[in-house]
Amino acid sequence: MEVRISPQMSLMDKLKILAEGAKYDVSCSSSGSSRANDGNGIGNTVAAGLCHSFASDGRCVSLLKILFTNECIYDCKYCINRKSNDVPRASFTPDEVCELTMEFYRRNYIEGLFLSSGILYSPNYTMELICETVHKLRTVHRFQGYIHVKAIPGADPLLIQKAGYLADRMSVNLEMATAEGLREMAPNKHRKNILKPMRQIQNGIAENKNELTLYKHAPRFCEAGQSTQMVIGALPESDYQIMSVAENLYDKFSLKRVYYSAFVNVNEDKDLPALTGGPPLLREHRLYQADWLLRFYHFKVDELLTADRPNFNMAIDPKADWAVRHLEVFPVEINRADYQLLLRIPGVGVKSARRIVAARRFGNLTFEDLKKIGVVLKRALYFITCNGKMMYPTKIDEAYIVRNLTYQNQMGRGERLPFLMDGTTYRQMSLFDEGQMSEAQTYRLA
Amino acid sequence: MEEKYLICEDSIEGIFTGIYDAYALREGHEHVHLQVGEEENYRLFASYMYIQPDSVKTDKVARTLRERLGESVYHVICRAAASCNKEEKGDAIYKTVVDSITAGSGRRVMENLRNPYVLKTFELARYTANEAHYETEFIRFQELEQGILYAVIGPKNSVIPFIMPHFADRLSIENFMIHDENHGLFGVHPAKKEWYLVSEPDGFIKERLKWSQKENQYRELFTMFHKTIGIKERENKRLQRQMCPFRYQDYMMEFAQK
Repeated sequence: MEVRISPQMSLMDKLKILAEGAKYDVSCSSSGSSRANDGNGIGNTVAAGLCHSFASDGRCVSLLKILFTNECIYDCKYCINRKSNDVPRASFTPDEVCELTMEFYRRNYIEGLFLSSGILYSPNYTMELICETVHKLRTVHRFQGYIHVKAIPGADPLLIQKAGYLADRMSVNLEMATAEGLREMAPNKHRKNILKPMRQIQNGIAENKNELTLYKHAPRFCEAGQSTQMVIGALPESDYQIMSVAENLYDKFSLKRVYYSAFVNVNEDKDLPALTGGPPLLREHRLYQADWLLRFYHFKVDELLTADRPNFNMAIDPKADWAVRHLEVFPVEINRADYQLLLRIPGVGVKSARRIVAARRFGNLTFEDLKKIGVVLKRALYFITCNGKMMYPTKIDEAYIVRNLTYQNQMGRGERLPFLMDGTTYRQMSLFDEGQMSEAQTYRLA
Repeated sequence: MEEKYLICEDSIEGIFTGIYDAYALREGHEHVHLQVGEEENYRLFASYMYIQPDSVKTDKVARTLRERLGESVYHVICRAAASCNKEEKGDAIYKTVVDSITAGSGRRVMENLRNPYVLKTFELARYTANEAHYETEFIRFQELEQGILYAVIGPKNSVIPFIMPHFADRLSIENFMIHDENHGLFGVHPAKKEWYLVSEPDGFIKERLKWSQKENQYRELFTMFHKTIGIKERENKRLQRQMCPFRYQDYMMEFAQK
């Protein structure tokens, strides 16, 4: 196979260009796959995944996240590697990718490889290159660590199937929440072409499960499932639209993860919003919080948002927001409530809910016990009783509770956000503080 | 009644022998305490007994704990015993065993978090487990001239026994060693063989180790990759520090030039 390479370029220069091109892909997880080493090669996988470093933006570096090539025949408006951009171009050879992966992995720098690519010549040609690289890594180098590859929309289903048997996880990026949005942003991509490989991978995984129950040693197909990502804030979609799409992807396409990527305007395209305050990180954070509520807390999107309330409250998190709008459920008696209801209490997470259920077999729990178990009492205290008593005399009143929860935020003692409250995010909040709206409006507004 | 303090060595052997001897006293458990390492503040109205580690007693206790508490609780206790909190770990482990075997919580003892000693054991074990987890993530191997991989760490708890199985599986075909310079301990894994622990040889100086030819190239490649992969518009050093604390960064080459 002929591969277009740039012989004069050093490995260092190539890695720089091709890591630069891959960094906007959010997924870097190495979870979902659990495989012991077979004694003939290097590597294994751990179900929970491992992060090997953290980049300057605080995101985990788990996989060697690179593009095979940043040459591309497409011209997507949001993408740094689009055809019409004048950026340095480079391509790896399969051997170079293998060398980097193996040498980084032995030194415990990485958990495996994340291989994405621009579209070189055609989707099929690109997918074939990806398959060849991963095949070499698995067979010649006997690499048994984690591999995440992109399924290139439009590539032959046979190639996607081949990649699926070599990789732990595959992903196809949905890019935009709506089909119209995608058409506008990426004129060469079509929603239907993106969903097709997604469906194929889903079916492949389901069939593989049946095979595995029959034959224990059948080859595994995408053991760690598939994921996707959506860009947030490039188009005026509402959180309700985005979360409904995510819920559909979890329910109908059995996705493992949906990632949300706050839009970074790398191209300064005239059709794209200029984000003077930086990427919409707080909004992205709220979407991830809601995503967790869907996956681990048995929430439905329709409970969190509705068509007339289509965006998340920026001042308090989605779970607290749900709780203050459903005060009829509260206060919840910690020593009696079932697990599902415990999960709905702000300040109680999956771990503490499990610990509560286990520990209360030995006797009634007190607030002191809850604190030790890991319940965040300053948030939970408005919603719970222990042995019929509340922690302090508090009003069970929407406005009162919201005021207290957000007051803690302003004092820097409340919700811990993963970034400093400056730039846009802080300004958005201070807008509420200037008394332009009544309190009741404040937390209903998103 | 007079308080009795049993003083034992800082090792699993020491602690298990202490538990054996505490039961052998047959005086109940309310006034008996297990203390790891030297006592610094001697109390009035208390008597002190020094316990010599004994392998027969250790084996008996280990066997009983595995049978009566189950394998997973036994591992929790081993992790708590590896903790750096010398002041509290002896008593916490001892009284957890009492809660399980004598007070009857049995295999469910680790769920009884209302007992302060069980809670303490839980916390100590969690701290060791968390640190071991961080080290499996953040360890950096370097290739020596002879092709052997060498990594140095500086953990607070003695985590090497808990991270060696992970690397022995993952790097089964490699010769590697992990050096805990805080506890003077090496975990050594010869290719395709069982791993073992050795204490640091006298006069070992890590600065004298010689790296292989290509070592520097891969270090530079990864350092550059690490720098490139961060998104400038999202820079957040506070989050980076929170996820990967400085005391680990000190041992990671990609953080060397700051």
